[in-house]
Amino acid sequence: MTWIHPLSAEAEATASVLGGKASGLVVLHRLGLPVPPAFVIGTAACRAFLRDGRLPGGLCAELAAAVSDLEAATRRRLGGPERPLAVSVRSGAGVSMPGMMSTILNLGLTTEATAGLAAETGDLRFALDSRLRFLSSFASAVAGQAPEDLEAVAREGGGEETRLAAAIRGVEALFLERTGEPVPDDAMRQLELAIRAVFSSWDTPRARTYRELHDIPHDLGTAVTVQAMVFGNRDDHSGTGVAFSRDPNTGERSPFGDVLFGRQGEDVVSGRSATRPLAELAGREPAVWAGLLEAVNQLEEHFRDVCHVEFTFEAGRLWLLQVRPGGLVGRAAVRVAVDLADEGVVSRREALLRVRPGHLRYAHTPRMENAGTLDVLTRGLGACPGVATGRVATTADQAARMSADGPVILMRPHTSPLDMHGLAAAAGVVTARGGPASHAAVVARAMGKPAVVGAADLTVDAVAACVRAGGRTFPEGTLVTVDGTGGQVVVGSPRIVTAATDSHLRRLLEWADEVSGGDSGRDEVERLTAAHAVLNARRDHDPPHQEAAG
Amino acid sequence: MTHLADGKPMDGRPADVPSSPQTTSTELLVLHTLRCIGFSGLARVSEATGLPEPDAESELIDLAVAGLVTRVPGDFGGWGLTEAGRAADARWICEELDAAGARRAVTEAYDDFLVLNPEVLDLCTAWQMRSVDGVAAPNDHTDPAYDSRVLGRFTDLDRRAGAVCARLSAALPRFQRYRTRLTEALARVRSGALDYVTDDLASYHSVWFQLHEDLLVTLGIPRH
Repeated sequence: MTWIHPLSAEAEATASVLGGKASGLVVLHRLGLPVPPAFVIGTAACRAFLRDGRLPGGLCAELAAAVSDLEAATRRRLGGPERPLAVSVRSGAGVSMPGMMSTILNLGLTTEATAGLAAETGDLRFALDSRLRFLSSFASAVAGQAPEDLEAVAREGGGEETRLAAAIRGVEALFLERTGEPVPDDAMRQLELAIRAVFSSWDTPRARTYRELHDIPHDLGTAVTVQAMVFGNRDDHSGTGVAFSRDPNTGERSPFGDVLFGRQGEDVVSGRSATRPLAELAGREPAVWAGLLEAVNQLEEHFRDVCHVEFTFEAGRLWLLQVRPGGLVGRAAVRVAVDLADEGVVSRREALLRVRPGHLRYAHTPRMENAGTLDVLTRGLGACPGVATGRVATTADQAARMSADGPVILMRPHTSPLDMHGLAAAAGVVTARGGPASHAAVVARAMGKPAVVGAADLTVDAVAACVRAGGRTFPEGTLVTVDGTGGQVVVGSPRIVTAATDSHLRRLLEWADEVSGGDSGRDEVERLTAAHAVLNARRDHDPPHQEAAG
Repeated sequence: MTHLADGKPMDGRPADVPSSPQTTSTELLVLHTLRCIGFSGLARVSEATGLPEPDAESELIDLAVAGLVTRVPGDFGGWGLTEAGRAADARWICEELDAAGARRAVTEAYDDFLVLNPEVLDLCTAWQMRSVDGVAAPNDHTDPAYDSRVLGRFTDLDRRAGAVCARLSAALPRFQRYRTRLTEALARVRSGALDYVTDDLASYHSVWFQLHEDLLVTLGIPRH
């Protein structure tokens, strides 16, 4: 095949053809880890599509053949009335562009296939939920429907199955209104439209902006991974999550992550649902937990670096959907580099090269000491670095009043301009919704207030003047501390640490001085940069070292 | 709010709302602007409405007499809506929308706004934080090349935002004020006032954020 590449341990194409996501799947295959069957439409097809405005000749025939192979591997039929096959359609460029491009889940769940899925599983709610997720992601990717509109439709009331059926009709109506055509009920037609939408999403103004700001060329194009769905929303023994081989906040060697029981992947990434700490898997799904630990250890060994995976478990069976090595920042990156050297996984010189000067600057941001004794109130995404301690206020007016008596942490479901005076009065801010690029985050940074956004399990009850999270209730006035780097909100005022007290950083800089022959009189960035200069000069003269592999 | 529910006009209700829907009365303009910008001093109300301060203050006093706004004194004081003011604004702004027959046009423009909104937030984030060695660090604005790249994209986005503002203004003239304020913010940035991207209370992001609030209030959509 010219355009399409089956995904297997034997796949040879590079990340620039397959995209980063699919290349990770190839690694998972090679290590014998469980990956749902998939194929990839390479970046060349995207470039041809963007150049000519149509899918390249021959792609449709290859697509039909690749779908047949997928059907054979899963013993299912795409859009079939019995044992229907559903697939995910995901973008994946050679360079990561998080959140910029489209993903469609549960594609192939036509009206008939949804009925087939309900009959097969004996679970109508599950089948309708899956169909709704398909329609929402399809309307968003293909028709450009805003998530706000889709969420509003999905919130409509009624009993569980009635509500889902109404929401399905609502999204179908939105799609018809926006495009003038109904959602196609032919699975292959859905697939073709989804692929076009993912290709087109490469060239949205938003994606172009992202590339210009991150020095990514515009002519790379994205690959499209088409993969058999596994259903994290299948039953009580299903779910989805993200697992890091080491704690990304601290670099500590203990698996870390989030899990969402009974849900599908986008719910974790979007931050729209309340996740549970990964370790809860150990009690609830011991086999999944054991498999996951073994997988991340194997992957760490392969990459010789910290890594994280996206996973789904369906009816007690673990599947891995994505892996990426590295990606830790600041003090956590320093700690991992030093620990890997101590563990003999990498040499000290590679540990030094892995830490960039930017990490050292970042390492100076004050953080809460992670002594394992923190009473975590909630977790979200760090949106403005820094630590702030104060008393909880649940409205902007309350924050303005309470700030006369000492520092205040404003906690809101989201922020609107009506909260601005409360934000101005507060020492820190926490919102239940929103991401690092939300109004709340932009405003918090504009005012220099440590901020945590998207704390999905947080409920703010302004009427009762309290907040709720993790099954607990905290009245207004409770003393809390916000870490706008790691995204934690804890009860009380834990010790704050800065880089000066960090033993891993001290050791790394000692190694740097040994390499450069320098002394500790200079600033940290200079010490590291001097060591990098020596190591890079040596590397240019040496033959490629085995360390460079992976 | 029985006095609102029974359909009779409240005291202080702008008399010309139903009769001349195309032009928002000054009183409703001040009330609604305050609803969208949040608790503010007189200078901000004046800037956001485009009214001279004495005129804005006179309207605020009338609205206060009607129990729709209130003024908190002191250093951090300012004007804000009362509960009755929020309810009255929601009702009158909805009546204005329907009297102008503009609901469909504003709804469509809101959909276009939602396409641009993530990009505005991306750009604001890129203005505030910069990825160095894969680490998001605060942008210290010492690299003019980076800043001008961000602003170049802002200019491109503003052109597309202009089309949304034009549709909104054609439907309801009061939306024209946002176009003016966004253009002013960007012009100030170009002349070196970097605070007018995200930091100032009249920055591009602040005005955009208020426009977002205005669209939600106008269409009666709760913010989630």
